[in-house]
Amino acid sequence: MYGYRVGAIAILTTFMIIIFSTVLMPMVLFNPEPTKTRNDYTVEKIANAHRGRQVYVREGCFYCHTQFNRLQDRGYGPLVRAGDYVFETPHQLGTARTGPDLTNEGGRMSSEWQKAHLINPRAVKPGSIMPSFSYLSDRDMNDLVAYIQTLGNKRKSTHFVEAPDEYRNTTGAGQALLNRKTVDTNATASANAGRGIYTQNCAVCHGLEGWGNGPNAITLEKKPANFSRPFYKQYPDEFWFYRISEGVAGTRMPRFGEVLTEEQRWYLVAYLKTLPQSKEITIDNLNQLNKVEQIKLPVLTNQQYEPHTGDE
Amino acid sequence: MSALWWSIWGMGAGLFAAAEFAMPDLVHNVPQLSMPHLRMWHVNGVAIGWLSMGYVGAMFHMVPTLCKTKLWSERLGNFTMWAWNLVMVGAFCTLLNGNTEGREYAELGAVLDVFVVIALVSIAFNIYMTIINRKVKKLYVSLWYFLGSLFWFPLVYIIGQRTFVALPGLNDAIVGWFYGHNILGMWFTTVGVGMMYFLLPRLTQAPLYSHGLSMLGFWGIALFYAPTGTHHILQSPVPEWLKAIAIISSIFLLVPVLTVLTNFFMTMKGKWGMVVTDLPLRFAATSCMFYLITCVQGPFQATRWVNWYLHFTQWVVGHAHLALLGTFSFILTSAFYYSIPRLTGREWYSQGLIRGHYWLKFLGFLLMMVSLTTAGLIQSAGWAFGVPVDQWSLQIRPYWFLRELSGIMILLGQLIFAYNAYKTLYSPQVAAATTPPPMPKPIEVKV
Repeated sequence: MYGYRVGAIAILTTFMIIIFSTVLMPMVLFNPEPTKTRNDYTVEKIANAHRGRQVYVREGCFYCHTQFNRLQDRGYGPLVRAGDYVFETPHQLGTARTGPDLTNEGGRMSSEWQKAHLINPRAVKPGSIMPSFSYLSDRDMNDLVAYIQTLGNKRKSTHFVEAPDEYRNTTGAGQALLNRKTVDTNATASANAGRGIYTQNCAVCHGLEGWGNGPNAITLEKKPANFSRPFYKQYPDEFWFYRISEGVAGTRMPRFGEVLTEEQRWYLVAYLKTLPQSKEITIDNLNQLNKVEQIKLPVLTNQQYEPHTGDE
Repeated sequence: MSALWWSIWGMGAGLFAAAEFAMPDLVHNVPQLSMPHLRMWHVNGVAIGWLSMGYVGAMFHMVPTLCKTKLWSERLGNFTMWAWNLVMVGAFCTLLNGNTEGREYAELGAVLDVFVVIALVSIAFNIYMTIINRKVKKLYVSLWYFLGSLFWFPLVYIIGQRTFVALPGLNDAIVGWFYGHNILGMWFTTVGVGMMYFLLPRLTQAPLYSHGLSMLGFWGIALFYAPTGTHHILQSPVPEWLKAIAIISSIFLLVPVLTVLTNFFMTMKGKWGMVVTDLPLRFAATSCMFYLITCVQGPFQATRWVNWYLHFTQWVVGHAHLALLGTFSFILTSAFYYSIPRLTGREWYSQGLIRGHYWLKFLGFLLMMVSLTTAGLIQSAGWAFGVPVDQWSLQIRPYWFLRELSGIMILLGQLIFAYNAYKTLYSPQVAAATTPPPMPKPIEVKV
């Protein structure tokens, strides 16, 4: 009988100690101060974001969308801090990303786009597997969009794209790379040198002006980047270099690290940096695509077959 | 006595069928109306409806058997059964309409929470009283597990619901994952392992390999399982010391898991051939194998560097299914197949259907596991290399369809099971059953 009692007491104590250390202790020790970038739904009545959050919870968005970004999530905005979550109850951190992370979704797309996307995701994003939420009432829908637009919109940042560590001076490899760099990427001369490399290698897709209007663009499912977008102003040199070297996985952008020398790539960076403008130049017309001029090939002697022109 | 058993098993069987209906909808994942609602119902239906209810039913059978006494109060047992079913009906109505608390694994609303707690406490009371009135002196290891689980789970559940407190966001997440992982650790695992301890020696008719090892395993789980929850949010801004505790105890979990499995495999030594003919044993042995895989996978993906790569992907979903479907669902099915003949004195309606159930579930599950894991690896690569979501989501489409196929297979298996159980329980009395065949004598387990 003793063994049983001792056992019961032991179970009780271990469990209480564990509850104490992992449940109560964090509550006491871990009290993050609200940061400036948090959303306080209780005080600031941001449209009806408070209600929109309830819709977000009700519709279970968090099963597929997370609300915390990590160091390695490139292109998902500035990192969150503990104080950002003080008013986020119940927490919507999420566990699985069947869809993209929404930490900094606010302001990324227009509200109209968000609403259209909720009604029929595939209309604005072909191939998406997001369920349609067309059954939401108009009020729910507007509030939900208002909530989405508050997500991270206080976490303003001048640049939130960072090259991987091996391209930055935080690692040995990155430092070695930057030490080998001899090109001044801010000089006009370097940009001029880069222009030639650009015309040879990039213009066929990205276009002569870099508007994403190269002759190949029409055949590509994932359209080439339009460098006139102001967005690209925030790219640090290392990020341009990384993109050129390793290409963009999932698109036809190749790894030019295999073709161009490091010096050539840095010249290219210098040129690309000059392309972003204050307003994006949109290509919405076939006539705006660059044309391929007739290439004059050397004439063969003793040619037996004429190229078929299709005129007959 | 039998009325209670019939209703519990019958309702259990009826309910899991209903619960499993949610699955093809979950695995559907081709765009369809309100998939998130179905997902809530799927998680709650399967975890609370099928596994928990089945567990309680199995405990009501195993505890009296091990104590060589009757259940303390059958009336209380019946009451808990009805309370539990009420909760499930309520959950069905509320969750599908989106009445959720918005916390994974704790979606049920406040009223239902209260019912669950009442049911759990009365179950615990019932079982504790049964054990106190036992006729054997020494507690078999399964009883240790059941005692522990029934003590832990109501507490964990109360802490985890957070219905009446509003914690700041990240603390909410910490407590939430304390609950989210311990519903597995201190309920599904401990009861499931207790059932394995009960079933394996009985089915193989061999004594348990070592009582000392089983105790080591029990205390190991008791010590190391509870603080692991934070490994679900390793990369969020929660305190580093909490993450460290979670990772260390996750890795230490290998100790109890390996002792438990050594014990099982040594008990099975020389008996592996029996899985060919003994169907409940086949389920139990499969469950042990899946348990091994789950529990080696778990600590490995709780470490920082692996988590860095694998988190947020379908790999984790595969892992969860490996634990709940592969391990605990299989052991529960084994318990069903073992107990129903012993409770009702009837043979199973069809052995062929049991075989069909096994193969559909087993192959369906393997297919699901492979497709989820592959999809997870594709997603991981996508996140690690910064591929846009709309690019990698195209690549994993085939795996959604594979998963749907596997879901259909598993559901079909469960339907066969339900049909078989129904025929066994409610078919008109066969001649032999009027004079009930002698209950198979419970095999004496040397402890």
